[in-house]
Amino acid sequence: MSNFPWLTTIVLLPVFAGCVIPFFPNKGNNLIRWYTLGVCLLEFLLITYVFCYYFKFDDPIIQLKEDYNWIDFLDFHWRLGIDGLSIGLILLTGFITTLATLAAWPVTRNPRLFYFLMLAMYSGQVGLFASQDILLFFFMWELELIPVYLLLCIWGGKRRLYATTKFILYTAGGSIFILMGALTMGFYGSNQLTLDFQNLSNKSYPLELEIILYLGFFIAYAVKLPIFPLHTWLPDTHGEAHYSTCMLLAGILLKMGGYGLIRINMELLPHAHSIFAPWIVAVGAIQIVYAALISFSQRNLKRRIAYSSISHMGFVLIGIGSMTDVGLNGAILQMVSHGLIGAALFFLAGITYDRTRTLFLDQMGGTAIYMPKIFTMFSSFSMASLALPGMSGFVAEFLVFLGIVVSNKYSFNFKILVTIIEAIGIILTPIYLLSMLRQMFYGYKFSKFTTFSNSNMDAGPREIFILVCLIFPIVGIGLYPNSVLSLWNSKVSFILSKFIV
Amino acid sequence: MEFIYQFVWIVPFFPFIASILIGVNLLFFPKSTKSLREIWAIFSILLLSIAMIFSFNILWQQINDNIIYRYLWSWIFDNKIDFKIGFLIDPLTSIMLVLITTVGVLVMIYSDSYMSYDQGYVRFFAYLSLFTASMLGLVLSPNLIQIYIFWELVGMCSYLLIGFWFTRPSAANACQKAFVTNRIGDFGLLLGILGFYWITGSFEFEILFKRFNDLVINHEVNLYFANFCALLLFLGPIAKSAQFPLHIWLPDAMEGPTPISALIHAATMVAAGIFLVARWFPLFQLLPFVMTIISWVGAITAFLGATIALAQTDLKKGLAYSTMSQLGYMMLALGIGSYQAGLFHLITHAYSKALLFLGSGSVIHSVESIVGYSPNKCQNMAFMGGLRKYMPITGITFLLGTFSLCGIPPFACFWSKDEIITDSWLYSSTLGSISLVTAGLTAFYMFRIYFLTFEGDLRVNLNKVAFTYPVSIWGELNLNKKNSNKNKFVLNKYDIFFETDQNENQTDNLSFFSDIKKLKYPKESDNKMLFPLLVLTLPTLFIGFLGAPFPEGQIGSDLLSQWLYPVFKSAEEITSGNWLEFGLNAINSLSVVFSGIFIAFILYGPFSLFPQNLEKNIEFSLEKNLNSFFSFIYNWSYFRGYIDVYYNIVFVKGTRLLAQSLSFFDEWIIDGFVNGFGILTFFEGESIKYLEGGRISFYLFGLIFGMIILLFIGFFGAMF
Repeated sequence: MSNFPWLTTIVLLPVFAGCVIPFFPNKGNNLIRWYTLGVCLLEFLLITYVFCYYFKFDDPIIQLKEDYNWIDFLDFHWRLGIDGLSIGLILLTGFITTLATLAAWPVTRNPRLFYFLMLAMYSGQVGLFASQDILLFFFMWELELIPVYLLLCIWGGKRRLYATTKFILYTAGGSIFILMGALTMGFYGSNQLTLDFQNLSNKSYPLELEIILYLGFFIAYAVKLPIFPLHTWLPDTHGEAHYSTCMLLAGILLKMGGYGLIRINMELLPHAHSIFAPWIVAVGAIQIVYAALISFSQRNLKRRIAYSSISHMGFVLIGIGSMTDVGLNGAILQMVSHGLIGAALFFLAGITYDRTRTLFLDQMGGTAIYMPKIFTMFSSFSMASLALPGMSGFVAEFLVFLGIVVSNKYSFNFKILVTIIEAIGIILTPIYLLSMLRQMFYGYKFSKFTTFSNSNMDAGPREIFILVCLIFPIVGIGLYPNSVLSLWNSKVSFILSKFIV
Repeated sequence: MEFIYQFVWIVPFFPFIASILIGVNLLFFPKSTKSLREIWAIFSILLLSIAMIFSFNILWQQINDNIIYRYLWSWIFDNKIDFKIGFLIDPLTSIMLVLITTVGVLVMIYSDSYMSYDQGYVRFFAYLSLFTASMLGLVLSPNLIQIYIFWELVGMCSYLLIGFWFTRPSAANACQKAFVTNRIGDFGLLLGILGFYWITGSFEFEILFKRFNDLVINHEVNLYFANFCALLLFLGPIAKSAQFPLHIWLPDAMEGPTPISALIHAATMVAAGIFLVARWFPLFQLLPFVMTIISWVGAITAFLGATIALAQTDLKKGLAYSTMSQLGYMMLALGIGSYQAGLFHLITHAYSKALLFLGSGSVIHSVESIVGYSPNKCQNMAFMGGLRKYMPITGITFLLGTFSLCGIPPFACFWSKDEIITDSWLYSSTLGSISLVTAGLTAFYMFRIYFLTFEGDLRVNLNKVAFTYPVSIWGELNLNKKNSNKNKFVLNKYDIFFETDQNENQTDNLSFFSDIKKLKYPKESDNKMLFPLLVLTLPTLFIGFLGAPFPEGQIGSDLLSQWLYPVFKSAEEITSGNWLEFGLNAINSLSVVFSGIFIAFILYGPFSLFPQNLEKNIEFSLEKNLNSFFSFIYNWSYFRGYIDVYYNIVFVKGTRLLAQSLSFFDEWIIDGFVNGFGILTFFEGESIKYLEGGRISFYLFGLIFGMIILLFIGFFGAMF
């Protein structure tokens, strides 16, 4: 059984299962919903099963490798494999996509296409994290855009066309650089194309070329992560998307940028990375404070959470730039943790919108009485987002802080400056999150909600189930971080061992 | 017998379990949980009582064998860094454990009755248990990370509890203010922790102190940086213990239910800052500059708190400022190096202040049905008076607490406060005089509170004259203000509904307003509320003897410093235990205290010492001569030293402005580039569209024109 192509199965199962959806009888949505949920769940269970039994955690090399020739002429291979870096994110993908499918239950408009796109996205994301070939990586990166584009422009809000155009132009514009970089790297130094990550990592480039390649890749990831000043697509996109799409966007899509940054920029271009690391740290620190302040001035609930996502991604940047074990561990943990928390917050914003029919904070207020469960959950996840100890965000941010402090690379003054700016971020986070809570739930307002007070406005069992599912890993990681840190610990040391030279 | 130490995890774990069980049940089965509310309350009281018994046991063990026990296990490990969490038991911890659990249990029993009509009764117990658990975890922490973790958790519990009545806008603002202010402290704490990790490479107290000590002795550490880090570290206690620049959250925190004010904002959480400074005492001690800062921050806080407390009309806010002032005393004591006195005051103050707050809660509870449920009314001392007649037990226990806090022997706070005053005199005369003056002010405002609340006549039932009554005392200045308040009172009587809690009896409230002349008298609270009050009088009376010097006059030979001996060895050098000297010093401070009481009595006392005319003359002349001075003091005090106003202008508005301008920048400059690029492309496309009109002549024109230009360029290019 160990030769069974597990990863190919995992990557292709959702999209092929999705292809069956059009043949379903046109009798209501329930069948399609349950079918999609079943596929997602099956896929998630398959992922956990495979990782449980066929993956050795203390081994930093690529495991479960598969290599099939696809296009001979281009040396384009279907090369899959996972290591400690991707395993966490694949698990996150499975988890969040399953919950997002469940969250999309109320979608009634054209459900076949919707659920097919969800499944296609599932495949694309898992494929991206599992690909071991830089061209396949690019292929998956682009494949991902199509479902997101359609999900946005069909099921989005009022300004969806503006948002989708912006999104597609931004991300497609960014990905050109991946393609160029990939081909340059593949062609460099030989007549044969080499696109395998492993071979590429053994290549060495002249420093100038490495810097150019690094910057090219960096632009693509900077759009995706996003990094200041290429972040403006994110609030628009998240503001307009349906909340199940938002969960995927915030939960997984943003992490692709961070993953690429570690996988390609750090692993394949170590020299350039050690040159640019201080800049990454500086941009990360600025981004934390900048986005937090902007978030504070947003009136729109979803945009506020979107800016908080940008702010949290700053920690990922600092962790990546710190070039220490602790810092990089923290950065990966921050990606996973934000994937959970961000998805939960967008989901909560969405279900609150379903009830209040407004996203503007100043039009809400005093809703805690009518929906105490949503209030409780919103408070809990806001606390998680502002890095309350005992939740995963705290561990991640603390590791990042520690990473920059123990780093030998930087000067004394630089470290002090970055740490202080970063720490200002932790003052600003509660300001915008708590004032959001205050404006939404606290106080007492005679408003249109009072008319609903008789009917049951509070979260239903499905919504509570999703939120409880999300809070378990958050608290679990917060209480015992080793449980997930051990997944990528050896991989992180392996990556960083390249920098010691 | 170290057997018991292995089970110390039970102490924080039991209340934690209680809170989790209640919380989960409340979320999933709200109806059934609410119907079983008494059972949940008893359940959480029971679990906390078990924790309390354990803590007493541990304290007993500590007294007997004085072993520092440590138990650690790994939390995050990595090939380089290993974080541990665990427990540390030493005398300081064991004393704090007993303090927290005893006050916690009493407050829980009390709140069973106090909160019984509240919708959030069960939620309240969940929060209360969670808070106690995190506080117990905090005092048991063996390293900086764990301290930080629980430090944040108590902050969050405080946030939840201040915002307990979330329908009140003032509570919503107060809880946010508290959390954000505390986060500023956490900011410093985190940076300080990281800084000391950088210097010493460890989070564990013992190793950290030892390494730092070695480094300082060998001059291997950058002292400026160490001082900087220590000051950042001290920012944490400043925020949590409501010390001077960051004290603003504490008075607002009184929006929470009164039992919370007693437990969190008087006895335990605010003392966490003091505890932390005490815990890090070996570290701060090596940095004299930081010690000076600590002592001055303490002194300023003590004085500022006392002056602002002078004219508070709100019963709880008055007590809150008094808490702030007393915390300043403790910080002062730690700053001047008298560790033992600071901790002693922490213990005595915790019990006395808990008693006072619970007493005030009892008052509010019985008055609110008469005056109205809004905190502006039921906590307003202007409406109270003469309550001792109606609620004698509350009145007498409150009086005992007042005696204690003022420092009248033989009550608890006398011993500790006197020790602090003596030590600060020894340290520097400026600090000494500040602490002495503050003691006088303390006596004044505490007795003012007592007289206004419990003596004289109940002012709410006097006709409208009652509302103007305090005006004559508080100077002319406020006449307009009071009058406008009165008008508002009449106008807004139906608006009160907004601020009342949901399940509170509205008809009762309204009937009061519809028939304002109907006389009602407050009743004594029920036994469940009186029991904690009575129990708390015991420590208020007797706990002071722990730190009272033995009559033999040995140096450093009171019980407390004997227990604390292993924690801090040089305590004995500073403590002057001479009985005679002690007595002489006490006379000094007592005279100040009594003069404070005397002035309070003249101004607010139930009956006048002098004949009526004479008093009027005195008052008249006082007002005439010192009017501007009094009004200044009054204004200063009434507007909280203007500090909140300035903070509001500088920080809140500043942040908002910055956020808005950045948001503008983001929307119009950064996004403007993007959109501008899009629009530019659009126009380009449009204009290029017109170039392709399909007319041959136009293309030919373009061809020739282009060629001419090219020729020109080539020509000039060749020339130069």
